[in-house]
Amino acid sequence: MFKYVMRRILQMIPVFLGVTLILFVLRIPGLLPGDPIQLIVGEKTLTPALRAQIEEKNHLNEPAYVQYGYYVSNLLQGDLGESYQKSRSVTSILADKFPNTIRLAVAAILVEIVVGLLAGIISAVKQYSFWDVLVTLSTSILVSVPVFWLGMLLQMLFGIKLKQWTGGALFLPITGMGTPPDIAHLILPAVTLASVSTAYVARIMRSQMLEALGQDYIRTAMAKGLTERAVVFKHALKNAMIPVVTFIGIDLGALMGGAILTESVFSWPGVGREIYLAVLQRDWPVVMGGVVIVVLIVMVVNLLVDISYALLDPRIRYGGAAE
Amino acid sequence: MALLEVSDLKTQFTTRDGVVRAVDGVSFALEEGHTLAIVGESGSGKSVTALSIMRLIPDPPGKIAAGKVVLRGESVLDMSDADVRAMRGDRIAMIFQDPMTSLNPVFRVGFQIGEALRIHKGMSRKEADARAVEMLDLVGIPNAPHRAKDYPHQFSGGMRQRAMIAMALACDPDILIADEPTTALDVTIQAQILELMIELQQRKGTAIIMITHDLGVVADMADDVMVMYAGKQVEYGSADAVFYSPQHPYTWGLLDSLPRHDIDEKGTLLPIEGQPPSLIDVPPGCAFHPRCPYAQAVCRETCPELREIEPGHMAACHFAGTDSLVRGRVATAEGEVR
Ligand SMILES: Nc1ncnc2c1ncn2[C@@H]1O[C@H](COP(=O)(O)OP(=O)(O)OP(=O)(O)O)[C@@H](O)[C@H]1O
Ligand SMILES: [Mg+2]
Repeated sequence: MFKYVMRRILQMIPVFLGVTLILFVLRIPGLLPGDPIQLIVGEKTLTPALRAQIEEKNHLNEPAYVQYGYYVSNLLQGDLGESYQKSRSVTSILADKFPNTIRLAVAAILVEIVVGLLAGIISAVKQYSFWDVLVTLSTSILVSVPVFWLGMLLQMLFGIKLKQWTGGALFLPITGMGTPPDIAHLILPAVTLASVSTAYVARIMRSQMLEALGQDYIRTAMAKGLTERAVVFKHALKNAMIPVVTFIGIDLGALMGGAILTESVFSWPGVGREIYLAVLQRDWPVVMGGVVIVVLIVMVVNLLVDISYALLDPRIRYGGAAE
Repeated sequence: MALLEVSDLKTQFTTRDGVVRAVDGVSFALEEGHTLAIVGESGSGKSVTALSIMRLIPDPPGKIAAGKVVLRGESVLDMSDADVRAMRGDRIAMIFQDPMTSLNPVFRVGFQIGEALRIHKGMSRKEADARAVEMLDLVGIPNAPHRAKDYPHQFSGGMRQRAMIAMALACDPDILIADEPTTALDVTIQAQILELMIELQQRKGTAIIMITHDLGVVADMADDVMVMYAGKQVEYGSADAVFYSPQHPYTWGLLDSLPRHDIDEKGTLLPIEGQPPSLIDVPPGCAFHPRCPYAQAVCRETCPELREIEPGHMAACHFAGTDSLVRGRVATAEGEVR
């Protein structure tokens, strides 16, 4: 198991370097619109002397690979550079926003797991019942609804149409949000962010559960005299969970992408919204720093998911069949 | 009173195409410590008979439509769900054909063996684990304390079937139902598993219902034999009676296919000409008549009742015990010699 984890950590290194390389290439002047030096200077007039000075300071006159070396070595020391716009370090900007994104992501994952798993289990165990039809129908609708549209719809419904009932602004992060934001403000963005994933989790759970319930070992368990509940929640569920956990893990990346949209729609003050605003302003250090952080998180979470996957499935833990 | 008495058992499945009469009026008795073999072609209703006794028929689509299953004087079909669960694994245990898929891949073998002990004998996790190791040792798994911690994928097919037997016998059941326990295994392993079952039966006095395609197995271990065809019982009696004076042409077909080891070294049943009938539209008259070389007009019209031909030996054939059939039998025997 230890070896497995070490191997996985070593595998992360080239992936991470690859991502930084792509980000670095994207920053090369001329590739994307906007002149970074002009952006740094802002309103001041850019004299050739000033330009040379800034180039010198940021190693922009060195060959590309040397620049990349500087970039990676700074990165490893936790230095993400300085914002073009805010004359603050990217690290401190992101550190401010980071806890809010974590709050949102954790809330969304909780929704995804609790609602998705329960819906999937119920609709499998009570196949073709009213609940099964309801789950199947609502998941088909949810997977085809764009996140930002659902977000706006929910805001309109709970924030405006049901104002008297919900206390209006309470649910809308736009107004009256403290620091850190109250839990109530979290509900709509979390549900929005989780919606598509929850629908997928419910569907995968349902099909996996149905498949597991049809296996021979279920009959063996029944023949032993186990209760139906033990058979479903122990013997079937543990098998059915394996692909679901994998999906949730793989989906975390998509969730992070969704966070950028959701945070923008709800003006949720997180890393996603910060990246979005930085893209609009061509504030490349913030964009790059934000993306690097998000990539790192996704990689670490995927590692944790793979470990839990191995804990669930002995065939992986012990590296294949021993026959 | 016999340990288990099954009378006129009828189990049906409702499908889109109609009602499948998978088991249609089966009766037998199993004495303490005895072995009953159930033989018959694929689809003849052997497994459904076994699952009906365990009340494991999936409902829907299945339903036990009629009959009685009496275990030590107690009606199994009238038991509450809780009583049925208390019976399963404790009084009647079952092992299945495919040991590769019958164990749950994500639980340790020892844990799976111990599960029944914890439910039925109220053992703690520790006691059950210890007993699981003993059981694995008993079924001949070397290094049992270590192997109990393995997962099923770390066992070979033969070892898994041994583990299944250990699981089934953990609670010392009165009856072990083995549904083709060796079909999925290599020939050499098959013999070992059968030997193990015979040895454990002698040691523990467990009664066995052995479902099999292999008449060699029947000859080795069965006290009684029931032959099934298209959901019906066509012949039933002591193993000696069925082997030495078989009464039903279908049984003859089965036995005739037996000695041809040159063709099929496993000694499994060779197909009898023709196909078994659909269980939805069972032909009128004797279900076997379309394939029966001795069929007469009466066979096409009336379904033969199961009759006692000699004490304790039953057959469902219009001509069982009569000269006409004996002659027919001699005729085939000569035909083979030629
Ligand atoms: N769940 C089910 N739904 C519908 N029909 C079923 C079901 N289970 C069994 N049957 C039918 O019942 C009949 C008897 O099946 P059974 O499994 O008892 O045969 P078998 O004698 O055990 O055959 P085999 O030697 O292949 O195991 C078959 O025609 C089968 O199609
Ligand atoms: Mg069968």
